[in-house]
Amino acid sequence: MNGPGTNGAAERAPEGWRDLSRFIPWLLGFCVLLVLPWLAVNPYQNYLLNVILINVILAVGLNIVKGFAGQVTVGHIALAAIGAYTSAILSVKFGLPFWLALPAATLVTGLAGALVGIPAFRLEGAYLALATLGLAESVRIFISATDYVGASIGFSDIPPPMLAGKPLGSHIAYYYVVMPVALVGIYLSFCILRSDIGRAFKALREDSLAAAAAGINVRKYKLLAFVISAFYAGCAGSLTAHMSPGFLNPNSYTITEMVTLLLMVVLGGIGHIWGGVIGAVLVTIINDLTVDFYQYRLAIFGMIIVLTVLYMPRGIGGVIDRHFATKRFIALRKAKASVNA
Amino acid sequence: MLEVTNLSKRFGGLVAVANVDLSVRQGEIRGIIGPNGSGKSTLFNLISSVYKPEPGSRIAFDGEDITGRPPHDIARRGIARTFQLLRIFTQMSVLENLLIGHHSHVRYGVGAAVVGAARVWAEERRLKQEMMDLLGFVGLADYAEMAAGELSIGQRRLLALGRAMAMRPKLLMLDEPAAGLSPVNVDKLLNTVMALQKRFGLTLVIIEHILKVVMESCDTVTVLDHGEKIAEGPPAAIKDDHRVIEAYLGKEMADAEVRAFLKAS
Amino acid sequence: MKSASFRASYVLASALLLAAGVPSAPAAAADDVIRIGVTLRMIVENGLKYGQMTKDELEAVNATGGINGKKIEVTLLDDECKPDRGIANVNRFIHQHKVHLVLGSTCSSVSIPMVDVVTKEEVPQIIPHSTNTSITQKGSPWVFRTSVSERFYSAVHAKYLAENVGKKVAYLYTTDGAAISFAKDYMGYMERTYKVEPIYTAQMQETDLDFRSHLLKIKSLNPDVLAIGGQLDAIARITQQSYEVGIPSKVRRVAASAASNAPVPELAGNAAVGLTFAAAFSCKDERPVAQQFVKMVQDKYKVRCPDHDFSQAYETAQIVKLALSRAKLSLTDAALAQDRRAIRDALATIKDYSGLASGPINFCADPTPQCRDGNRTGILVEYTKGGKDYDMRVLARVSFEADFGLAK
Repeated sequence: MNGPGTNGAAERAPEGWRDLSRFIPWLLGFCVLLVLPWLAVNPYQNYLLNVILINVILAVGLNIVKGFAGQVTVGHIALAAIGAYTSAILSVKFGLPFWLALPAATLVTGLAGALVGIPAFRLEGAYLALATLGLAESVRIFISATDYVGASIGFSDIPPPMLAGKPLGSHIAYYYVVMPVALVGIYLSFCILRSDIGRAFKALREDSLAAAAAGINVRKYKLLAFVISAFYAGCAGSLTAHMSPGFLNPNSYTITEMVTLLLMVVLGGIGHIWGGVIGAVLVTIINDLTVDFYQYRLAIFGMIIVLTVLYMPRGIGGVIDRHFATKRFIALRKAKASVNA
Repeated sequence: MLEVTNLSKRFGGLVAVANVDLSVRQGEIRGIIGPNGSGKSTLFNLISSVYKPEPGSRIAFDGEDITGRPPHDIARRGIARTFQLLRIFTQMSVLENLLIGHHSHVRYGVGAAVVGAARVWAEERRLKQEMMDLLGFVGLADYAEMAAGELSIGQRRLLALGRAMAMRPKLLMLDEPAAGLSPVNVDKLLNTVMALQKRFGLTLVIIEHILKVVMESCDTVTVLDHGEKIAEGPPAAIKDDHRVIEAYLGKEMADAEVRAFLKAS
Repeated sequence: MKSASFRASYVLASALLLAAGVPSAPAAAADDVIRIGVTLRMIVENGLKYGQMTKDELEAVNATGGINGKKIEVTLLDDECKPDRGIANVNRFIHQHKVHLVLGSTCSSVSIPMVDVVTKEEVPQIIPHSTNTSITQKGSPWVFRTSVSERFYSAVHAKYLAENVGKKVAYLYTTDGAAISFAKDYMGYMERTYKVEPIYTAQMQETDLDFRSHLLKIKSLNPDVLAIGGQLDAIARITQQSYEVGIPSKVRRVAASAASNAPVPELAGNAAVGLTFAAAFSCKDERPVAQQFVKMVQDKYKVRCPDHDFSQAYETAQIVKLALSRAKLSLTDAALAQDRRAIRDALATIKDYSGLASGPINFCADPTPQCRDGNRTGILVEYTKGGKDYDMRVLARVSFEADFGLAK
C-alpha cells in the first residue's frame, strides 16, 4: 500500500530485485512455520495448530466475501461441510487419494459457492443473511438425514493423506500438509485482495451503485467473491475431513460454528487483508483457553462481537493499520515542513 | 456525441422525466438547471442506467444505442458521472478511490491477479503512479493514503471529481459539483474542472444550482421543469427566458425583479 | 508493500507462538496421581449436575486416602454433543493432561470419533451414555461401555410386549430420526423373531397436528399395541388423540424414548396413563440401592427425579473406582503406557457388577461387543399418572444374551 516516495530504497532498486524481494517475507514466514511445531510442548498443541490453520483458511475465505465484498453470508459453514463431505465421499467411497480428493472437493465447493452467490444478485444485508442461512441449514439437515454419509451419527474412518506409502496420521505430520496449504491460501488471498479485484470487492461493499458507475460489473464480482471464498471453505473442509481421527458430523456445521467464524472476521478486521488470519488465530486460542466455560462461550463471543463493533469497528487489523497510517502521514507532513523551512 | 431522444421515466404516478430530447456535441460544456425536483438528477440516473427508462426512450452515445445497458457497461464506454451525494468510498484510501475509477483500464485478468503474476505488480505500480499524477492535478496528493472519510467536504468534492476523471471519460456528467462549498472553494473547483476539460478535451454536462457556475462556464444551458425541457440555449438567452424565470420563482414575481436577482447571484 | 508484509508476518508468527505457548500451563504431570479425563454433554438442563456428580464420585476416594493410597484427579469438560469438541477434549486429555483413563461421552456421534483417538493413542475409555450399536463393533481393545447398547434397547419393549401383551402392532411415527429407528427396530424385531408383519404403518410430519384419520383406521384393525414414534409434542398428541377416537385403554401405547421427558405426561394429561417406554433406569425403581441413589441426587444436586443419564454416569464412576483398586499402577511418567494398559485389563475383569443398572454388568478381554457392552438389561416404564404431578412405575426388567442383535 506504499505510495511512491514512501519507500525510497525499494523505489531505487531495480525492477527484478523488487519482484523477488516481495517473496522474502513469505519465505521468512514459511521458515518460522516450518519450525513452529517443534516448539510445541506436547502433541495437543500440534493438534491445536492444525485446527488454527484450518480455521485460518476458513476465515480468510470468509473475509473475502464478507469482509471485502461485504456480502452478509451465513452459508460459509455449509460450504465447509460440502467440501468436507465431498472429500470424504471421494476418498472413502471412490478410493481417491487425499491429494486428488482435496482439489476435487475444493472445485465442487467452488461450484456450490456460485449457487449460494446467486441470491446475492437481488438480496442484500439481513435478507441475504436469511437466504444463505436457509441454504446452510438445508445442507446440514440433508446431511443429517442421509444414511449414505452416516446421517446424524457421522461419517467415520476417513483416511489420512498417504505419502510414499505412509499415512500422515499424526498431528505433527498432518501439520506439514495443512501449513503449506494455509500459507499458499493466505498468499493467494493477499494477491487477490491487493489487486484490482480486491479493490472492486471493497467498492461493492461500500456502495455497489457507485461501484457500478465506476465501471465495475457488480454481478460478476459478487459471484467471484462467493466462488473464491467457497474454494477456501471447500479446501478447509477437506482438510478437516482427513485430519485424525477422520470423522465428520453435521453437528459441526451449525449456526454456532458460523457465529464463531463471523467473530474471527469481525475481530480480525472486516476488510483488512490480514483480518481473517489474525481473527482465526485469536478466536481459536480464546476458544481453547475458555474450555472450562463452554456453556458461556456463545455469550462471551457475542460480547466480543458487540464490543468490537462499538469500540473497534475495523477490528484489530484496522487498529494496526490506522496506527501505521497515522505515523506515515505525520512523517510525511514533517518531511514537507522541513523542506519548506 | 450524446443523443437522448424521447426520454421518459415514471415513478408510480409521478412523471419524473417526460419526453426529453438532449443532444450534446463533442467538446461542449452543457449546463442543466431547473428547480428542485425538476428531474435533473433523474436524467443523469437514466443516462448512467441507474434507472431503466420507459419504453420508447432512446439514449445513444458515440452513435451506439446504449439504452438499458448495465451501468458498468455505460461507464466502460466512456460516460463518467459524479453523484449529488458524492458516494465516494469513505473507508478506502483516497488513492484507492481513484484506482476504482480506473477499474475499466486495468490490463490484467482474474487469473493473473490470483497467482500474483509479476506483470500484475508492474501494472499496479504503473496504475498507482498514474493515479498519483491525477491526485496531484486535483490537489490531493498529500492525502493519498488517508481514508477518504477523513477528508473535508471540499476535498471530498475534489476526490469525486478525481474518481470520475480516473475513468478517462469522453463524457463527464457532474451532479452539483459545487454544492455546499464556500465561494473561494467554488472558484477553485471550477478552475480545476475547466483545466481538466481543456487538458483532456472532455465533453461536460453539469447540473448546478449555483447559477454563477453555469452562466460563466457553459456553452449551452438546458432548463428542466417538472421533468420537461422548457428551454435550451446560450446562458445569456436563458437568463432572459420568461418560462425559466417563471419556473424558478413562480408567476407572481415580476420579470424585472427576477433579472435583478439573477444578476446579483 | 514490503514493510506491510513484514509487519503482518511478524504479527502472525507471534500469535502462533502464543498459541503454542499459552495453553501449556498444566503440562507438568505429577507422579502418584491417577488422572481421569471426563467429557460429557453438559449443555442440557441437568448436564452440569451429572458432570459434577461424576467428578465428585470419582474424587470422593481422595477424602479417605485414595485408591491404594493414590489420589484421583479429574478433569471435567463439556463437549456440547459436538464431535469436534469431543475430539479436542480427548486430545487434550491424552496429550496435555496425560490421563490414565477417559470417561465419556454422552452422544454417540461424539463417542465414535473418541474411540478412534483412544485406540490410536492406547488409552482406555469407558462410555457412560452413548447407545449406538457400532461403537463397540469397531473392535477397539481400549473401549468399554456401561450404557445399554441400542441393540438391546430397541428390543426391550418389543420382547416384553410380544410375550405379555400381543403381536398385532400398529405403527404411527414421524420423520424424526429417532422416531424412524424406533419404529424400524420394533418392526424388524417382530419380523425376525415372530415372523409377524405390522398390521398398520403410517408416517407423518413431526409438525402435524391431527393424527385422527390414521388412528381411526388403526382402531378398526383392533391392534394389541400402538407404537408411537416421535419427539415430545407428537408423542403427546398421538397419545391424546388415540383416546379421542376411541381406541380402548387395553391397547398398550408404547413410545420412543423421548416419552421419558417430562413434557410428554404433562401435555398428554390423563391419556399418559399406561404409556410405556424403555429406559436404562427410572427414579421410581424401588430397589433400595436405587432409592438411596435417588435420595443422594435429590439432596446433593437438587434434581427431583434423576434419569438414566445420572444413574449411568454414577455407575460408571463406581466401576472405574473398582477397576482402579484392582490395577497395579506405578503412576510415573515413564510408566504411563503401562498403567493405561493395566487399567484397561482391570476393567476387563469386572464381572457381575451389581448396582443401579437393572441387571449385572459384565466386561471381558475380547475387543468384541459381547465383551464390551457391559449392561444388557433395560427396563420398561409406564406412566401411572399424567399432568403436572405425573408418576410412573417400572413395569418390567428385560435382559438379553451377550450375542443378541449382532447376527446380521
